[in-house]
Amino acid sequence: MIQVEALEKVYPGRKGQAGVKAVDNISFGVHEGELLGFLGPNGAGKTTTVKMLCGLIRPSSGRIFINGIDLLQRRISALADVSAVLEGNRNIYWRLTAQENLEFFAAVRGLNPARLRNEIGYYLKLFNLTEKRDVEARKLSRGMQQKLAIAVALISQSKVVLLDEPTLGLDVQASYEIRQLLKQIVKEQGRTVILTTHDMNVVQDACQRVIIVNEGRIVANDSVHNLLDLFKVKVYRITVQGGLTAEQRQALLAMEEVIIEEESPIQTAISVRLEESQILYRVIGVLESNHSPIESIDQDQNNFERVFLQILEGGSQGA
Amino acid sequence: MLRKGLLLQAFFKKELILFRRYLHNSVGSMITLYVIFLLLVGGFQGVRALVGVGADTLEGLVVGYVLWIFMLSTYQDVWYTVRTEAQEGTLEQLYMSAHGFGWVMGAKVVAGFFTNLIMVAVLLAAALLTTGVSVNLDFWSLLPLVIGTLLGSAGIGFAVGGITLVLKRIDSYTQMVQFLLIALVGAPAGRIIWMRLLPCSYGSALINRVMVGGQNLSQIGFGHVAAMILIGVGHLLAGYGIYKFCEHRAMIQGTLGHY
Ligand SMILES: Nc1ncnc2c1ncn2[C@@H]1O[C@H](COP(=O)(O)OP(=O)(O)OP(=O)(O)O)[C@@H](O)[C@H]1O
Ligand SMILES: [Mg+2]
Repeated sequence: MIQVEALEKVYPGRKGQAGVKAVDNISFGVHEGELLGFLGPNGAGKTTTVKMLCGLIRPSSGRIFINGIDLLQRRISALADVSAVLEGNRNIYWRLTAQENLEFFAAVRGLNPARLRNEIGYYLKLFNLTEKRDVEARKLSRGMQQKLAIAVALISQSKVVLLDEPTLGLDVQASYEIRQLLKQIVKEQGRTVILTTHDMNVVQDACQRVIIVNEGRIVANDSVHNLLDLFKVKVYRITVQGGLTAEQRQALLAMEEVIIEEESPIQTAISVRLEESQILYRVIGVLESNHSPIESIDQDQNNFERVFLQILEGGSQGA
Repeated sequence: MLRKGLLLQAFFKKELILFRRYLHNSVGSMITLYVIFLLLVGGFQGVRALVGVGADTLEGLVVGYVLWIFMLSTYQDVWYTVRTEAQEGTLEQLYMSAHGFGWVMGAKVVAGFFTNLIMVAVLLAAALLTTGVSVNLDFWSLLPLVIGTLLGSAGIGFAVGGITLVLKRIDSYTQMVQFLLIALVGAPAGRIIWMRLLPCSYGSALINRVMVGGQNLSQIGFGHVAAMILIGVGHLLAGYGIYKFCEHRAMIQGTLGHY
């Protein structure tokens, strides 16, 4: 559905300054009906990539095909299959109502709003906005505005939907709702969705595949499932009463697998990645050396957040 | 073509909805413009030099004022739309239109023409009532002249809008365009031939011949009308060209959606 080849973006620098390389030679493909997560820290190049896919930022080099059409050569026909929410709740008219926004943007996207009554009703219902259909967008809550913006993107019936941080600034409940809706849309309508996010929960919960970018490069491109598997090492969390001595701290920090997560005179928490069985005994040995009373040893599930951090630290080992 | 009709219809609907929903805003700005008119009349002698050509008479002042409002509104419809929609985040959505952005702006300007026409008609009536003068309102002669004149201000709107996309935050400079438009309305293009090449000035002079001089299109001569419209189209194309050039820059800089 989407094919990106050796895409690069260097923003021109202001007078005399060097440019900023925001996207550095990335290539990837997205299948029809896939929900792909684009994950990366601030400044990784996520927004830049998405806007290039929308034809809003001109790449420095590389090619983009949407449904086989070259975006850089035939912008309008390629974009006929793409809609996007780029700024969360800012992509709608705040002084128009929910319904008016849907109708207006349908016409802008080349459809006849009068023939879309059912669809408009359907999306208002799906996004729980039916009661708010005649309320101006500026009077909706942030979560509702973001849902409306997504509904506006969906009303265009485009095959590809791009969402830049669709859950940014939302509370847990609203974020959860949007994730469920996205999964439903992909499943029922077979649309292709790419979303960018910082939120691991969004990726772990909603996405089938994730591309992790850092400093403009792809450092991992795999199914969420595989990535979790890849880093599925057991993690133990040891809680100790009281603080550590200087020697203990030094001995623990010398072990690569150990992280001192918190330390205070009252309690200390250490997490140990169990890459070989001996390590746990060595850690316990260090703690015993000063008779630090061990309160508990718990097994911790490796979650996506930790995987993400390990990939960013380790460069491209996950790719 | 049908789809372009739907686009136009959508913009009409939006204009009307916003005009009605924010009626106090619309009325407020009309009152402001009316007060400006009163000040103009009050200082008539003083500003006569500024408003120029037809302003030797009160009729000329009324015509110049109303035309200025119309040109200003058209200019705003282009420039201010680009600026605020970039700021509010909707410009990028318009850029993804299946019609292409040029058509979208075209629809916006045409829809705006009609709401502006309502406002201008009200202000004209108010101005005529206040001053007690009368002007020749030959609608069918005026229509092509007004449209030809507005092409120039739309062209200026595109040029300024384009520059805004690239440079951002230039509001304090763009304010000057309002005064530039006054000068263009008042430029004596009837007497000084080269001034006919300025945006809007030729049209302004011809409109004065209808409204103040009481002439109709055939008395003016179709050669004049055609030349004026051609020059208007030229200004529109030039402005749009500047816009496209700036748009290209903005897409390289990645600033299309910023303000
Ligand atoms: N218009 C621009 N002009 C110059 N540099 C830019 C521009 N937009 C982004 N950048 C730079 O390009 C890099 C990538 O930015 P981008 O916005 O794509 O990152 P991101 O992954 O979306 O980050 P975030 O998570 O903060 O949204 C950053 O270093 C940023 O400073
Ligand atoms: Mg971003």
